[in-house]
Amino acid sequence: MQEFSPAMLLVLVPLLPLVGAVLTVLLGGRLASRAHLPAIAGIAAAAMVAIVLLVATARDVNPSHGAHAEPVRPVEMIATLWNWASFDQAYAPPADSPATDPRLTPQNPQAAPQALGFTIPVALRLDPLTATMLVIITCVGLLVAIYSIGYMHDDPGYPRFFALVAMFVFSMSMLVAASNFLLVYVFWEAVGACSYLLIGFWFAKPQAARAAKKAFLVNRVGDFGLAIAVFLLWMSYGTLDFHDTISPQGVIMPGILGQTRLVDAAGYVLPDAAGFAGGTIGTAICLLLLLAACGKSAQLPLHVWLPDAMEGPTPASALIHAATMVTAGIYLIVRSAPLFAACPGALVMVSIVGATTALVAALIGTVQNDLKRVLAYSTISQLGYMFASLGTGTMLGFTAAIFHLLTHACFKALLFLGAGSVMHGMGGVIDMRRFGGLRRVMPITATTFLVGSLALAGVAPFAGFFSKDEILAALHAKAWPIAHGDHHAALSTATGTLHAASFTPHGLETGSGLGLDSLNRPEIWQLLFWMSLVTAGLTAFYTFRAVFMTFTGPTRIPEAAGHHAHESPPAMTIPLVILAVASTVVGWLLFSTNWLAHFLSATPSLTATAVAATATPHAFHMDLAIKGTLAAAIGVVVAAIGHLGQRSDGPQLERFLGPLQALFAHKFFFDQIYTAIIVRPIEAFAMVAAFIDRFIIDGAVDAIGRIPATLGGIVRRGQSGLLQRYALAGVMGVLAIVVLLAWQLRG
Amino acid sequence: MNAAQSLPMLQNALTVGAILFSLGLVGILARRNLIVMFLAAEMMLQGISVSLVAWSRYHGDWGGQVLVIFVLTVAACEAAVALVFVLQAFARTGRLDAAAWQSLREANLVRTVDHELPSIDTLPPRYPTLAPAGVLPPTDENEPLQREHV
Repeated sequence: MQEFSPAMLLVLVPLLPLVGAVLTVLLGGRLASRAHLPAIAGIAAAAMVAIVLLVATARDVNPSHGAHAEPVRPVEMIATLWNWASFDQAYAPPADSPATDPRLTPQNPQAAPQALGFTIPVALRLDPLTATMLVIITCVGLLVAIYSIGYMHDDPGYPRFFALVAMFVFSMSMLVAASNFLLVYVFWEAVGACSYLLIGFWFAKPQAARAAKKAFLVNRVGDFGLAIAVFLLWMSYGTLDFHDTISPQGVIMPGILGQTRLVDAAGYVLPDAAGFAGGTIGTAICLLLLLAACGKSAQLPLHVWLPDAMEGPTPASALIHAATMVTAGIYLIVRSAPLFAACPGALVMVSIVGATTALVAALIGTVQNDLKRVLAYSTISQLGYMFASLGTGTMLGFTAAIFHLLTHACFKALLFLGAGSVMHGMGGVIDMRRFGGLRRVMPITATTFLVGSLALAGVAPFAGFFSKDEILAALHAKAWPIAHGDHHAALSTATGTLHAASFTPHGLETGSGLGLDSLNRPEIWQLLFWMSLVTAGLTAFYTFRAVFMTFTGPTRIPEAAGHHAHESPPAMTIPLVILAVASTVVGWLLFSTNWLAHFLSATPSLTATAVAATATPHAFHMDLAIKGTLAAAIGVVVAAIGHLGQRSDGPQLERFLGPLQALFAHKFFFDQIYTAIIVRPIEAFAMVAAFIDRFIIDGAVDAIGRIPATLGGIVRRGQSGLLQRYALAGVMGVLAIVVLLAWQLRG
Repeated sequence: MNAAQSLPMLQNALTVGAILFSLGLVGILARRNLIVMFLAAEMMLQGISVSLVAWSRYHGDWGGQVLVIFVLTVAACEAAVALVFVLQAFARTGRLDAAAWQSLREANLVRTVDHELPSIDTLPPRYPTLAPAGVLPPTDENEPLQREHV
């Protein structure tokens, strides 16, 4: 009997919400106003299992204390459920591809490229990254589900909502637990489908239906990138598994992110990024993965769907479009860290995309008047922050991104739920100019929203301060490597392309990575750093602009709210309070103990040499903290000058922006540009196609269909119903045959 | 070669068969009384049977005659079934006229009607009489004994 493994418990995390969703679907109509019970029970149980798993995984990570701490060992557990697909000898990879690295198949040292099988096991993995993500997903999911009891009550689609939320939690847990790129792709699509269904939850509303369609179509672009990336990965590595497997012949089959590829048999870490595709193919894979991440995480240029997605119910926005699903892109890149580490050019692109998105979204956010839209742009901006951090390719960058992901999940879910509470009390009105001074009407919502805003703005000691500080530190270290005493990084950024070539001894090609490697220069990183710092100031400004407009000034309540504008019920305020407490303490707890960063560093992907070598001692960067706090303070002060205590429908600061105001208010004209260059041509083409289909193809089919009818019309006149005529026709027929035969026999 | 296998014998028999067949064919095409049409069809069958027997004799092969026995058997069964249909048709309409059954024609065609009705026999029908034995069954004066003549 095998020893009990936490990996077995892992199956329960996706399974329980799935059971909840199925039960809700089956019993939804009968449960009526208690339709939330199966879903909430399933998610709550999954959350408990996830916490147990987190503790179990943390026990396996070797401690880092002491001066002679050994390198962190990778921690990973695999639970293979069944084989989804299995073909022998599907593909013979090229001799020089990483799939046939002879070091990785010790029993066939001189083996010619052998035909590899195509096997897709349904395997779940448990490692620090997965455990962290599972806890975030299930805990935020649970709080949002509880909140929804209050928010969604007496909605006709009540059971449907909870079935979808539980389904989403299932899909998302599978996405982060899958140990195979194909399974990741499957659940990547599944969360997209759940997102589509929840955005279009009120499908009778045309804007909601349109927003759902837009989200789905924009996501297709990213999904397409992921599909191509998966194809390329299989061509390059001959497998899609993350983990190593042992073939029936006893040969170790290295997975893409398996420990064989990361650490050699003797336990020594392989030099550099050996065994990972670099060059053109590697860079192409990374850029396609980045495209996929951009679609799901709403990064430039695929960010346009997220603001529109706010048409969905607010709890769904909080869960899917703020805390969890949109972080799938971050997860994907962290998981693929060794692939990116082999392609410095792709890494720079990640940072450039991220920092640009962060800045652009923050600028747009400053002039939005819809409370939920402000938060949507803020989410895009914060996700851009995480991307900027990931692009540094250092241990600090990766752990900081996940750290920010965690704190962001807390405070952004809090802010969204707070906005939902405002919307609930205001009778569905969410335009900030139509209400004001709500702190007197909704004290709990106002207080928790303020806590969330402080965390988002990065004010010490709230959660966002610490995670943002880490991200700035990661960028700073990349921009001014010498100042950080990081000579390795200094060399890598200074020599640029040379270093890129040395990173890929087993790459399919040692090309220049599509010419992107030349972007990996300190000046670029310095620019990205300053962009991030400006974004921090803008974040503080738009956040507090929203706070001041909504909660201060003379109390005004829109007519839609009627006379019963009120604080929300306990089912809604309790999750708010829990999240507010988390937003306050989680940053300090995790930063001061450095627990999360150390825990995450045991993720197999992050033990890859190219990443692990960049690990730096945990430190608090006073200079950066001062800069970040200063930026936040400026933002808050400007917001206070413009909006504190003012009527929210009065003149705004944006009147000083001049022509820029129009640019920001129109969201940099992204939608208009896409309409002009993509939507219109496709619509025109669709009209032509529809014309051809309706009149040419259908016309031809109809014409052929009319032939038998016409012929039949001629013959049917003979159908007189008179027996004698039928008999005569028979006799004539026989006579004709006889005459014909006689004619033939004559000759 | 005996007389039965001579060519003139065959010719004569085939001629009889052909005449029978043609008479039956004309009967089928010309008559509208269902029973007469049925009799005519039987006549065509017998014409064929005669030629089968003739060929069988001519070749000295019994197969043809065996086939004729089968034909007779099947014709007997068929007669029973066909007469049931005719009786049922008569019970529906009270007529044995095949032209009464035109409902299977195309919907947009007009019904074929007779421009000149067949002359109706005005003489009272004569029924076969039974030899007087036992009691005469009671008769109802109101029930018509014979329906419209075809």
